[in-house]
Amino acid sequence: MTTVEPPHTATGRYRVVGTSPAYHDFVDKVKGSLHYAADWRLPGMLHGRVVRSPVPSARITGIDVGAARALPGVAAVLTAADVPSNAIVEMASGGLAELEVTMPVLAQDRVRYAGEPVAVVAAATRQIADAAAELVAVDYEELPGVFDVTSALAADSPRVHDVGNTLVTWQIRCGDVAAALAAADVVVAGEYRSQHVEHAYLEPEAGVGWLENGVLTLRVSTQVIEHAAAIARIIGLPQSKVRVIAAYMGGGFGGKEDMTVEPYLALLVWHTRRPVRMIWDRQESLVASTKRHPFLMRYRTGAASDGTITAQQVEILGDAGAYPNLSPRVLFAAAACACGPYRVPNASITSSAVFTNNVPASAFRGFGAMQVVLGYEAQLDLLAERLGLSRTEVRERNFLAKGDLLPTGERLDTCVEVAQTMHRALALLGEQEPPRPSGPGKLTGRGIGCNRHPYGRTIWFRDRASAWLSLQADGTLLIRSGVTDLGAGQAASLCQIAAEVLGAPLEDISIYIGDSALNPPAGGTFATRQLYMSGNAVLHAALELRERMAPVAAGLLGVQSDELEFAAGRVRVRARDDGVSITLAELASACGQRAISTAHLSTWRAEAGSFDPRAGQGDTFPDYTYGTHAADVEVDTETGQVTVLRYAACHDVGRAINPMRVEGQIQGGAMQGLGYALTEDMGIEDGYVQAALFANYLIPNAQDFPDVLVDIVESGEGKGPLGARGIGEPPIGNVAAAIASAIHDAIGVRPTELPMTPERVLALLDRSAAGTKGQEVQE
Amino acid sequence: MVAPAFDYVAARSYDEAVRLLAAGGDDAKILAGGQSLMPMLNLRLAHPDLLIDINQADQRPPSVADGVLRLPALTRHRTLLEHDLVRRGCPLLAGAIRHVGNVRVRNRGTIGGSLAHADPTSELGACALVTGARVVIRGPDGERTVPTDELFDTYWTTTLAPGEVITDVLIPVTRPRQGWSFQEMVRRTSDFAIVAVAALVELDERADTIAAARVALAGVADRVTLAEPDLLAGLASHRHDNGDVDAAAGAIADRLEPATDIHASGEYRRRLARVLVARALRQACARATGETA
Amino acid sequence: MTRRPVVLSVNGTDHEVWVLPSETLLDVLHDELGLADVRYGCGEGVCGTCTLLLDDEPVNGCLILAVQAAGRRLTTLRGLMGPGDAMHPLQECFLRHGAAQCGFCTPGMVLTSLDLVRRRGRTSREEIRYALVGNLCRCTGYTKILDAVEEYAGTAAADPSPGVAST
Repeated sequence: MTTVEPPHTATGRYRVVGTSPAYHDFVDKVKGSLHYAADWRLPGMLHGRVVRSPVPSARITGIDVGAARALPGVAAVLTAADVPSNAIVEMASGGLAELEVTMPVLAQDRVRYAGEPVAVVAAATRQIADAAAELVAVDYEELPGVFDVTSALAADSPRVHDVGNTLVTWQIRCGDVAAALAAADVVVAGEYRSQHVEHAYLEPEAGVGWLENGVLTLRVSTQVIEHAAAIARIIGLPQSKVRVIAAYMGGGFGGKEDMTVEPYLALLVWHTRRPVRMIWDRQESLVASTKRHPFLMRYRTGAASDGTITAQQVEILGDAGAYPNLSPRVLFAAAACACGPYRVPNASITSSAVFTNNVPASAFRGFGAMQVVLGYEAQLDLLAERLGLSRTEVRERNFLAKGDLLPTGERLDTCVEVAQTMHRALALLGEQEPPRPSGPGKLTGRGIGCNRHPYGRTIWFRDRASAWLSLQADGTLLIRSGVTDLGAGQAASLCQIAAEVLGAPLEDISIYIGDSALNPPAGGTFATRQLYMSGNAVLHAALELRERMAPVAAGLLGVQSDELEFAAGRVRVRARDDGVSITLAELASACGQRAISTAHLSTWRAEAGSFDPRAGQGDTFPDYTYGTHAADVEVDTETGQVTVLRYAACHDVGRAINPMRVEGQIQGGAMQGLGYALTEDMGIEDGYVQAALFANYLIPNAQDFPDVLVDIVESGEGKGPLGARGIGEPPIGNVAAAIASAIHDAIGVRPTELPMTPERVLALLDRSAAGTKGQEVQE
Repeated sequence: MVAPAFDYVAARSYDEAVRLLAAGGDDAKILAGGQSLMPMLNLRLAHPDLLIDINQADQRPPSVADGVLRLPALTRHRTLLEHDLVRRGCPLLAGAIRHVGNVRVRNRGTIGGSLAHADPTSELGACALVTGARVVIRGPDGERTVPTDELFDTYWTTTLAPGEVITDVLIPVTRPRQGWSFQEMVRRTSDFAIVAVAALVELDERADTIAAARVALAGVADRVTLAEPDLLAGLASHRHDNGDVDAAAGAIADRLEPATDIHASGEYRRRLARVLVARALRQACARATGETA
Repeated sequence: MTRRPVVLSVNGTDHEVWVLPSETLLDVLHDELGLADVRYGCGEGVCGTCTLLLDDEPVNGCLILAVQAAGRRLTTLRGLMGPGDAMHPLQECFLRHGAAQCGFCTPGMVLTSLDLVRRRGRTSREEIRYALVGNLCRCTGYTKILDAVEEYAGTAAADPSPGVAST
């Protein structure tokens, strides 16, 4: 990896990076003029609809599409037989005993979850498409199903797939956990459970597809344009004949990382040769779109009497639902982060993805590394309680530092500022203590949650991202990048970086993104990787372009290249204020005369590495973002209701490219975490989603929670551009742990199951009153 | 998903609406605010042939006469929140409506529509019961007036005959020594209530003992429920701050057999009812004495 | 089922459309008239992405039939803009505060906030929260939206006159 010379001004500070302008897509969004995936209409456009299984486990004994096809206005009704290659194959992850399971695009003879696609319809109007979908007659012979991981592991469990119910297992092993636990002064154990939650982006899954010059083109709300290859395979087309355009998304959060509407749109477009639009119903999305993996986590933590952790034994079971999707990677991330931001010399972590007949789980902001925070932070608080230490004390005794080894054997090569984030988060809450209760029957408490969250893809994927820049003849700048934009300024941030390096004003920069035919590939927007990858790609492309053009400018100004400063649309001489400069347009023209190209493509490659799944040792992620959240809560002991009084979050983001957007990510991530902690639950019972109405799936509204107070640390040691670390995912991880910690402080009992509903909190209070304490095992 | 096709007609009066309902038969439905009916249509859970829009059938504002607050069925929720006659005539209603829906829902939703929808978690339903409100109903055979405790039958079902429509809601205007309270537990602000309690307490002439107490609950049964008067009888003649409110609340809760759903178990709802009834009675007493607003 | 003609007055312009009685105002505005700033989010009336003003009152576009909107004055987010694509001051506050991330909830947030400030003038942050309870956002955590509306409410004329279209 090349070392980067940050482009400072003479004073060593940035001009554009580190400021918070609002531009590019945000202007269109505020004006209401942005066209999302559902906002395109083409002549003769049909409306598509997926027909889904109403039952979670069944054999299909017959499908009759006759009545549906005969309905006037229906252009196509397709089933499995109409899919050229009816398989979505996930790349093997390399985990232990990994099963090879393909997911059909349309179910053929088996359905394995309620909501599984069985047929797809296209019709002239939405009403006809709805009516046709209702006329597709499928005969289901229900089969026994399994709906939780513990049952799925039993020998006599119904098999979701014939090959078995455990999709893959990861292990991480270092030292001698058994011996360390035996020798420990204290051992605390806990079992923690999390639930199915839904991304609940305000924009449902949607897209429009059409044929153009023989190219199957899809314009969809997607995080990953690279699915074009999978679509080509499914339809039986060469990859050069499939194009995916990613519209700016109305939220993604990982729910648009796997294909959603893409294969169904592609099938209908290919079959009818007409444009087709598909928008999933909200209720359809709630029931059938991928979810977060519920985790069952068992921790045993051994420590010395001074609070130093000596051993950590962790077992994680993730409910993958009926098909693999990204489950192997999620459970890997969970294993890699199961010990949190703490030194653990002896560790044994086992993490498995288990099939059930529930809706498939896949990527969701946090991706496994998020669920485990509840577990490891609870263990720290329990240790503190057992040993009579404060919560901050026990953490400070164990926090990792630069140069320390992780349980995987990796050495941390960037600074670890988690202690600073902890003190700053607590400082934001103000006062040493939580506020006094507001009345009789109320208890208040304060809690903290620290986390270590990866950014960037697992190192063994040899990640790379490309970006192309072009200084136009008039001095404006074009950027082309395959990046997709979730709404967090993925595209806008790249403009800000380019503006910093090349001095082109933001209003003179246009960026074109997310088109598999026209943009250099950047990889999908997930794993908090875009700032790290595409940010670096744009940074390097801009630096390399500037390096190429600098001699020309230097020649014109009669100085050396290293005396130049690119700013405000001009190239001038640093430390000379005689006003002599040239415009970027003049530079472009001069380059053109000398046959020096002002366009440049750069590919940035992440560090590579390897992991040994058997030994449980090796490289995992390029780096981590560390942070702490702190919360004050009030518990109503008569109803169990929890009110969050104050909430604070602090993360080390390395370098804040756009501080306002960084703050927005932290506030948004924390709010999503508050829903996960307290109010959200799909409520899946026997394979059926109970929260099938948006009215029943309780995401936080504007009145539920206080403002998230934010502080940012800029250590400058991230591996992203200019020392940045990723911030998209990390802030969702701390929340449940911080709230559980605060409730624990208030009522003396630790919640171990999510969401922490009033009813569950009341049950904890009952147990506390009765003298029994949660699930801690005394050893 | 879009609504299945239906025909539409706008009625210019309640009588016209009744005539159209009779002609339309079982597959005709009244469209008032639409905030409950339209979601069902959008989800294709209902398949009427005809919607009879009554939004233009009644332009009357709320009025008070002879100690009765008359709310036309088409009174929007927002009006309940803001109209002076409602705030003074039935502060319970004005207080409870804050918990219903959101700004958009309150701009369109109507009291007649809410009562006819008969949601067992309905805040307005609980208020109607506890105030002893009556509804005026028009049908093919003319007009009749029915106390709301005879209106609610079971889940989303009233005792209205198919061709009937609610035209007015009559609420006794609050009296000087009456205090009210509305207590609700929701998982998230402005949600459907897990359990909601509306309470009215009236003090006697000497203004320091309880003459009457009424409690209605939502979310605890298949319909909004009025607590049996005998369960509150123990409060009568006690000083407003001396009554065994907890015993009354316990007695009321013990009689309940709430169902379990995704938001709460039946047992928790029963427990919640006990807590909220006690809080509601205490607050109603405090308001009756003028101790709190 | 035959279509019938309806004249919809949207953002000051009359449009004659032929609609089925069962078509919602949302679907006709979005699909027939091509207005991208009223959006489908849930069909239940709980999310707020289909918010528009019906005679200056925020309503759920998905819960009103197109035929019901005949003769009424409809305003979407773009109807707040001035000549030359100039943003309404409230929109400028949203932009400056970073109150839009994915932007999908933004039209609903702006219209509902504008209605609040028109009716109540200078409002408290708590009142703004209450008014926005039915407009869900999954990206921002609401804080920057509240900041934007609070700033606007502070600078707008504290004249709580209803139905003023020019604020």
